[in-house]
Amino acid sequence: MEEKDFKCLRCGAVNKFPYEKGVMMERQCPKCGSNSIRLVKEKQEEKK
Amino acid sequence: MMDVGRHPNIKLLTYSTVEKITGYVGNFQVQVKKKAKYVNETECTACGDCTEVCPVFVPDEFQQGLSSRRAIYIPFPQAVPSSFLIDMENCLGTNPIACGKCADKCDKKCIDYDARDEILEFKVGTVIVATGMDVFDPTVLDEYGYTKYENVITSMEYERLLSAGGPSDGHFIRPTDRKRPKTVGFIQCVGSRCEKLGKPYCSNICCMNTIKDTLLLKDHYPDIEAKVFYIDIRAFGKGFEDLYKRSKEAGVQYIRGIPGEIIEDPSTHNLKVMVEDTTANKMEEYEFDMMVLSVGVTPRFDMPEVQQLLTLSKTPDGFFMEAHPKLKPVDAPTTGVYFAGCAEAPKDVKDSVTQASAAAARAETLLSAGKVKLEAITSSVNTDLCRFCGMCSKVCPYNAFTVDPKKKTIRYVEALCKGCGTCGAECRFGAITMNHFTDEQIITQIDTHLAEKAQEKVIVFACNWCSYAGADTCGGARLQYPPNQRLIRTMCSGRVHEKFVLHAFKKGAPMVVVSGCHYVDCHYIDANRWTQKRVEKLWDKLEKWDIRPERLLLEWISAAEGKRFAKTMQDIEELRKKVTKEEIEHTVKVLTEEEEKEKAKKEKQKKK
Amino acid sequence: MPQDDLKIGVFVCECGTNIAGSVDVDKLIEEAKNVPNVVFTAKNRYMCSEPGQAEIKKAIEEQKLDRVIVAACSPRMHEPTFRECVSSMGMNPYLVDMANIREQCSWVHMNMRDTATEKAMDIVKAYVARARYLVPQEETEIPVEKATLVIGGGIAGMQSALDLADAGYQVYLVEKEPALGGIMAQLAKTYPTMDCAI
Repeated sequence: MEEKDFKCLRCGAVNKFPYEKGVMMERQCPKCGSNSIRLVKEKQEEKK
Repeated sequence: MMDVGRHPNIKLLTYSTVEKITGYVGNFQVQVKKKAKYVNETECTACGDCTEVCPVFVPDEFQQGLSSRRAIYIPFPQAVPSSFLIDMENCLGTNPIACGKCADKCDKKCIDYDARDEILEFKVGTVIVATGMDVFDPTVLDEYGYTKYENVITSMEYERLLSAGGPSDGHFIRPTDRKRPKTVGFIQCVGSRCEKLGKPYCSNICCMNTIKDTLLLKDHYPDIEAKVFYIDIRAFGKGFEDLYKRSKEAGVQYIRGIPGEIIEDPSTHNLKVMVEDTTANKMEEYEFDMMVLSVGVTPRFDMPEVQQLLTLSKTPDGFFMEAHPKLKPVDAPTTGVYFAGCAEAPKDVKDSVTQASAAAARAETLLSAGKVKLEAITSSVNTDLCRFCGMCSKVCPYNAFTVDPKKKTIRYVEALCKGCGTCGAECRFGAITMNHFTDEQIITQIDTHLAEKAQEKVIVFACNWCSYAGADTCGGARLQYPPNQRLIRTMCSGRVHEKFVLHAFKKGAPMVVVSGCHYVDCHYIDANRWTQKRVEKLWDKLEKWDIRPERLLLEWISAAEGKRFAKTMQDIEELRKKVTKEEIEHTVKVLTEEEEKEKAKKEKQKKK
Repeated sequence: MPQDDLKIGVFVCECGTNIAGSVDVDKLIEEAKNVPNVVFTAKNRYMCSEPGQAEIKKAIEEQKLDRVIVAACSPRMHEPTFRECVSSMGMNPYLVDMANIREQCSWVHMNMRDTATEKAMDIVKAYVARARYLVPQEETEIPVEKATLVIGGGIAGMQSALDLADAGYQVYLVEKEPALGGIMAQLAKTYPTMDCAI
């Protein structure tokens, strides 16, 4: 499965997680344990 | 089998499939198709005269294709019901001119080529799913040459070769020369514990099955040499270790290491394997007359049909999901449905029988009570507001809704509802009310909490079963956290409507947390997947409005994770302090404007 | 719409010192009196005890209460107790609600009496506000057809079918193949007894 960058909204850590469109998965931040793991969209990266 | 066949309370329907199940606990309507056997089941005496004259030979499924049967046949000699049937796909024709030999031969005139499939309908209160398993098909594993080398067989074929009723009448022979082999190798974990094949689980039975196989071999032919290649030997059950010991004492060699491939010597048809013996740390080469692949257990191919009939779910391994892995291992998430045997997970005979009796006892609890109490906290539908978009039917884990967008109809079976409230959270038209956790009830709680000092408070939505219980566990352990959070309980996090979150922000909440069960713990099968989807959408929305998505958090906290709850609350309090007054003012302004826009839009639509 | 003419009773539990130790129960009662629709308040050392429950029952009768809020432990602990308590007085069990001021307040905010009391007050107020929207819920009972469908005639299906049939229930055993037995019937011998499968 493809891996994509995800950002933890609680601690800000960016990590790679498996990703497949339309497939729901439980993701947990390895640093703080939060499940607020948001896909880093390409547009956002451009902004940076 | 005989007991089942003759029990007055059992209506036995073989060669039959369940076509349709409607209704709910206590009142399932069942439709069964009984396929025509073309032989009168009650009249047939299984004399076997018919089969002798049948000119058609096909591979015998029961003997794993190692021998043949006719088109008119009995599956195996002790079959229940004890009657023959015609396999119409292979029969030369219903036209007596084409063949008709069996019908001529049958003295009792039991054979009827014009027999038709029958549809039966009946009502039941409970359902037991005992659909069993399939064995792993090793044809995908090129390295073991199962399709190329005749002397590589599966453990199921081995069973037949060793059986007194088998194709070789119990004489153990190898396929190429029909001679008794001198050396036999067994390879374990074929189609089990393999991520690559998508079978990461242990099939539970194969270690013991091979131990049994070697013992049978040694009992009959002490001179045959047997070696077993394994990863781990899992002989964990009662009396199992004794059998393992007995097998070793009988001279069977156990080698820790799995061969990478099997190579056949074309002249002798003997089989060579290279294997790293990981206990001795050396590479060894072995030659065998015959290799047995100890194949694993896989979910049955026709599981999806049964899954649909009863709206069941599967665990990642592909077997049926139970209502709770520890506390309700026999119950399906659908009330009144129970599992027995390998449908739920790979099991041996003893475990299958144990679960089967448990399933019967669970079913009996309802049957003997004669009545069942339904969930009081359920959804209700206002059909006047419904626009038949079908979203509720898509999200409901229990298929309580049937919506036809074309015909503009909605059917809601309240008895199927378990009260998660996901439908209410997804309905865009306000047509669904989740009773006892209504929109008004939840909004008024938010309003009350945020009436004073809103900027200091964090609104936390918590599901009854996990995160709310986790907060209780946290309290029980006296783990301290800042007193700024305000918990709002729902039955499932799936109930948390987008508007609840936005309402809290609009009322000045600096942070909102949506919390629920971890995926595996969701008490409403998969309702919390919708929670996550909704939160992900909300993050995008907030960002669009220039509201930091970091102010909305999603947290899965189980009932046991009191510590995790406390830590989450501590972390969040730190984040809350960072939310500025200006940010909150901006949020309140934007959301108030958005709400007014929505209102104006709705009124326009109304006027139209 | 909220029901404005309701009579709501608020009952605060001290739970010995479990709640009273960290939350100012008297202050809570005083403030609760000022919340709309609250017509009666009381505290008890243990609201779940017989005397505590008697106090609730008495108030329901004398004050003609329509809704009851018990500010005490988690509903996961005593909701069934209080539902039973109010229904014995003829009140629908879904018209009592529990404000959790123990597990989620007094126990987790020790040594901060003022803020803990403030939070407890918010929790009570939120439940009173919610109570204005509560309506009775009915638990319906439906009859169960005394028959079972068993799908699959392998060893598991047969065992379930026999158990239920022996208990006197009608069983419909549906097997896809022409004969019973499933995978098990194909096994030469089965462990641990090493006997014939058929």
